[in-house]
Amino acid sequence: TSVGTTSDFDGNYTISAKSGDVIVFSYVGFKTQEITYNGQSKLNVTLTEDAAQLDEIVLIGYGSTTKQDATGAVEKISTEEFNKGAIVSPEQLLAGKSAGVRVTSNNGAPGGGSEIRIRGGASLSANNSPLIVVDGLPLDQRGVQGVRNQLNAINPNDIEDFVVLKDASATAIYGSRASNGVILITTKKGSANTPIKFEYDLKASSSQVNDYVDVLDATQFRAIAETDTNYNASLLGNSNTNWQKEIYQTAIGAIHNLTVSKGYENFNYRINYNHTSQQGVLTGDLYERNALNLSFVQRLLNNDLKLTLTTKGILDDNKYADNGAIGAAVAFDPTQSVYNADGTYFQYTGENLAPINPVFTLENNNNRARNKRNITNFNLDYKFWFLKELTFNLNAGIDYSELNGKQFNAARPTNSASFPYKNFYSGFNRNTLLDFYFNYKNNLELINAKIDLTAGHSYQEFFIKSKQTETETATTLVVRTPVINRNALESYFARVSFDIADKYLISASYRRDGSSRFGPKNRWSSFPGVSVGWKLTNEDFLKDSFFSSLKLRAGWGKTGQQEIGANYGYLGVYTPGRNDASVQIGDIFVNTLRPEEFDENLKWEETSQYNLALDFGFFNDRLTGTVDAYYRETEDLLATVPTPAGSNLSDLLTTNVGSVLSKGIELSLNGELAKSENFNWDLGVNVTLQENKITKLSLGNDPNFLIAQGGISGGVGNNIQLWREGLDPSTFYVFRQVYDNAGNPIEGAYVDVNGDNQITEADKQAYKKASPDVFAGLTNTLTYKNLDFSFTFRGSFGNYMYNNVASDRGNITTVNNAPGNYYPNAHVSVLSTNFNNQNLFSDLYLQRADFVKLDNISIGYLVPGEKITFRASLTATNVLTITKYDGLDPEISNGIDNNFYPRPQMYVLGLNFTF
Amino acid sequence: NLDLQPEDNRLTADAVFEDPAAYKAFLAKIYAGISLSGQQGPAGDADLSGLDEGFSNYLRLYWKMQELTTDEAIIGWNDGTIKDLHAQTWTSGNEFIRTMYSRLFYQVALTNEFLRQTTDAKLDARGVDAALRAEIQDYRAEARFMRALTYWHAMDLFANVPFVTENDPIGAFLPPQIQRADLFDYVESELLAIENEIVPARQNEYGRADQGVVWMLLSKLYLNAEVYTTTPRYSDVITYTNKVIGAGYSISTNPYYHLFLADNNTNGTQTEVIFPIAFDGLNTQSFGGMTFLVHAPVGGSMTPSNYGINGGWAGVRTTATFVEQFPGEENSADGRALFYTDGQTKAIANVSPFTNGFAIEKFRNVDVNGVQGSDSTGDFADTDFPMFRLADAYLMYAEAYIRGGGGSAANAVTYINQLRVRAYGNSTGNITQSDLTLNFILSERSRELFWEAHRRTDLIRFGQFSSQGIWPWKGNVAQGVTTESFRDVMPIPATDLGINTNLQQNEGY
Repeated sequence: TSVGTTSDFDGNYTISAKSGDVIVFSYVGFKTQEITYNGQSKLNVTLTEDAAQLDEIVLIGYGSTTKQDATGAVEKISTEEFNKGAIVSPEQLLAGKSAGVRVTSNNGAPGGGSEIRIRGGASLSANNSPLIVVDGLPLDQRGVQGVRNQLNAINPNDIEDFVVLKDASATAIYGSRASNGVILITTKKGSANTPIKFEYDLKASSSQVNDYVDVLDATQFRAIAETDTNYNASLLGNSNTNWQKEIYQTAIGAIHNLTVSKGYENFNYRINYNHTSQQGVLTGDLYERNALNLSFVQRLLNNDLKLTLTTKGILDDNKYADNGAIGAAVAFDPTQSVYNADGTYFQYTGENLAPINPVFTLENNNNRARNKRNITNFNLDYKFWFLKELTFNLNAGIDYSELNGKQFNAARPTNSASFPYKNFYSGFNRNTLLDFYFNYKNNLELINAKIDLTAGHSYQEFFIKSKQTETETATTLVVRTPVINRNALESYFARVSFDIADKYLISASYRRDGSSRFGPKNRWSSFPGVSVGWKLTNEDFLKDSFFSSLKLRAGWGKTGQQEIGANYGYLGVYTPGRNDASVQIGDIFVNTLRPEEFDENLKWEETSQYNLALDFGFFNDRLTGTVDAYYRETEDLLATVPTPAGSNLSDLLTTNVGSVLSKGIELSLNGELAKSENFNWDLGVNVTLQENKITKLSLGNDPNFLIAQGGISGGVGNNIQLWREGLDPSTFYVFRQVYDNAGNPIEGAYVDVNGDNQITEADKQAYKKASPDVFAGLTNTLTYKNLDFSFTFRGSFGNYMYNNVASDRGNITTVNNAPGNYYPNAHVSVLSTNFNNQNLFSDLYLQRADFVKLDNISIGYLVPGEKITFRASLTATNVLTITKYDGLDPEISNGIDNNFYPRPQMYVLGLNFTF
Repeated sequence: NLDLQPEDNRLTADAVFEDPAAYKAFLAKIYAGISLSGQQGPAGDADLSGLDEGFSNYLRLYWKMQELTTDEAIIGWNDGTIKDLHAQTWTSGNEFIRTMYSRLFYQVALTNEFLRQTTDAKLDARGVDAALRAEIQDYRAEARFMRALTYWHAMDLFANVPFVTENDPIGAFLPPQIQRADLFDYVESELLAIENEIVPARQNEYGRADQGVVWMLLSKLYLNAEVYTTTPRYSDVITYTNKVIGAGYSISTNPYYHLFLADNNTNGTQTEVIFPIAFDGLNTQSFGGMTFLVHAPVGGSMTPSNYGINGGWAGVRTTATFVEQFPGEENSADGRALFYTDGQTKAIANVSPFTNGFAIEKFRNVDVNGVQGSDSTGDFADTDFPMFRLADAYLMYAEAYIRGGGGSAANAVTYINQLRVRAYGNSTGNITQSDLTLNFILSERSRELFWEAHRRTDLIRFGQFSSQGIWPWKGNVAQGVTTESFRDVMPIPATDLGINTNLQQNEGY
């Protein structure tokens, strides 16, 4: 038998033992020591820190585990692995770092957001983004109003680590919001017993656009305009203007971080002030952030009570440049000058549909918004005095943001009767959370097992209010009726984990969620998850194998989805019409009243996911890796689909219909290729293979039933993608172009698929898709003494892009058949295709968009000092793109390249002082 | 608390009808169903989301179905499958046809909901007083008329369609399909049922339906009965056109083109209008309806300000076949030949450029003095669309007479000459009894009613729409070819067939 005891806070202990007994000293995060007792009266030991193990504490929802004991697909990405550069949006730290996680920035706008997909997203038209939890507070999945990216409220410099929960056994504890994975963000808190430390960090950057959309130059353009049957030479100018050059600038940015931290025995704090200012490459675009981040940790009652307060105050200021200038610059006649001889802007006065001089637009249209936001979280963690193994954890959080914006657009210079537009908008978002749980951890000697039990309750409410006052006529402003939306979630959750003999791990979780978005009879649902693990290297038969660690994991879980945007989709509501949409009855205009579509049977979308994985390590864990395989099925999709005509009060309805399937394999490998005092070399690689397809789409059983997706420019109502059973949701739907013997496309000639001797809709084919089959990331870090060097590559394969600029504008009609007296510019592809008209659906415009990008490359030097440590670094981001795609950028999340705000290339100088 | 209710200006059904004005506001939505596309002008908060909001407007789509498919109109835009309408190469995947169909059944669902919310039981439960109740009875009759109108459009365009009434719920169920002849009976029975419940002819408020409108729709229904049911009903046409003609509508002395101007609700021509779809440049804004009808036909060398707008959309023109309906063509003495020819060619070598084909200057946003309508920016028009007018009743009477429905030749000639005197400004264009032939009627209807959304139905009734009748670019060939007769009926959209397993596709598609 064995006996045990626990030391007091100062480390004193007593224990009865007799000679020959083995005393085992252990403490979490330290290496266990065994000493054979031979009669000493006092036995002092100093445990050595087990750095490897300390790192491996991994947060999971409502608790934590260690990497060794984790049974779900859980990955932690810490500071050292983050992407380098002047990063404004925190999710960019993660791009390319984790298998199965794809982070695609929306565009090149400063502080712009990203599309984050974990395992490809589980839904069709409901939300596909992961749930993001910051220090225990789940953010509103819809974001907050008036900002480019709600995650900008989290200062990247303040982030300790990200934990990505990928599979359902790990995420099921988050129930109804967990289908698309969960990202837990932990911010830096400082630590106990540390001297006061000041840190100043500066990142100064300069960015520029390095590529433009290929449009005709003045000579090429003039040659086409001259072929117009009604050619009017007086409509052309004499310049050769590259309009795109005129709208972009070299953008300057600076990120300052000033941090103070100190730890006492029972109290520690960290204070960070952040100022970020980043211009956009589109002239006039600006993002600014002023943020104060505070965290306080107080320990009381001999460390049995721990209080943590984190609060972030953020002023998020945006000046939005009018993105309409991007399309106008592509379309504008290159023979015209920006300015007339008298210094005024060149404009097509009286041509209502003509493009507006984009330099004028950027100069005169103003849209500024300020979002004041506070994210505060208070956490109480208490160990019961009578039962130290039992803790109580309470979490109270609020995320409140207030928006104030004003927009001013100049009168349209193309229409002398138009008037300026003013728009004053404001509102607030309030997200409040209260959750608590009990946790019981103990060793069950009897069965040689560790047990970990958690049970709790959570309530979260979201409230959104938006107001607007805008121009109605030349002289009047009108106050719009405020829009208010409230929704709430209530949950009960529990988890139990066993670690038997340090070999067999079993974990089960259960959550019951109620959402205000569903009617009483469908309001509540349950989300269970189960996972098991087997630490093979702890078995005798593998003890001395060439594996230094080996663990087999398997899990299953059911998760949900309720993020459908509409809050009252189950309730028939009536919406009044505005004055400008009233009807004349007799001599007065009567405002209308519209009943909205609804589905009273609306319920959760349900995802079940299986995960099978192997974690392995070789050479004393110098080389570690994980292979995860998953199979995920979502049923009762909350999809916005056509409703049977006559059955409801709209043509499309958000209802539960259809299912999607996705499966994939994720591999990550991390190697410490060199490890010595002076030279370290770490290399991390991750590769993801995935496949997504729709398995059911309608209540009927017509396999050819399709829903058009992917709206494109060039006319109205045109779509280039489709949803159909058996296909990836980003599949394109095109005509197959026919070419002549010389390999040139024959205009309007397509493969007659059904052989009826005419080309109709029926000849369109599902062909290729926007999502990749494979994507990968590679991170390399080298340090030699005080010099460090790192870079990140990211690649994507099997994805296709539809070049909408070329399909819309790559034809002669674009130049010669404007709806007015002017000539718009065409895409350069017209010179090779010689197309007269738009051929929007030709697969000619669908191109392979595989790419490998060198996302960042960085070199740094650390000057250590007695009092001051100084580090300088130089980083280049978006350095290089290797692709066959000939449009602007092969990486656009929906696969449609149209008036894309280009991602700039950026050079960053970083300086860091610590003292 | 998870039982959350809307807290802004949205209200649940129980809450909304606490306000007595809500009933009229809901009725207004049913009328707005034809003219507007959503709850915000000109766009935003759309009724339908399957197509661009401006394009999804009822009148705009109905006009396209009835006009672009014929010799009267051709469009040069590259919007989706829009060109297939004129080419008569549409398939069941055509989004304009699909959205028309969605719009029709949206309108039906809207009226059904109105009828469900205004039953005696509901009104009792809400304690509605007698005066409001009496008004609501008028509203109910009008809602039933509006539903009959839409079912007529559905029957005319799509033949066998889903059938839902106020007895069906709102949900995700699959409505049954009704056969065209049965739908004819239903529409007829509905109209006959409300004939004496609705406000008498010319006694209702402007913009609302009355007995005259019901008679007019019954006339249209009977005139085309042979197409819908194979049973001719021409004597009923005489009966009901007589009721319309006797109700006190009159052809004004204004020139023909005044009928289509911004002040057409006040300039004198309104005496002829039986059912207007009212528009207003400031209060009734959408990118469909009249905004489309005044902007889309302006392009080339036309001066937008002449049409009371800020710019043309350079889309719609006409074919040579229509031009040739007028003796003397663009130089005709007939005042209805409203062609714009500067810089335009009569022949259409290429469908896309606006300058191919003569332009038409019918609907304009200026008043009789040439002054632009109320929207100073020139975006939205005041012009009301005359969905039914007396001239049509006259022509229907004459046609029914020729087809053996009774009536008198003398009346028919008198009626037609009233129109021709207005058109020519004198009696030089008058006809005699010997001119009363079916061919003459078809041409005269086109001359009088072109671009008023009658042409497709007329051509089908005369057997000239598909397998007979040729005009430029029909069949997607410059000189035009005939097409197969199954195109007299539009296809049930593939989307609805895919969802609603009760539906059978129309023959040929």
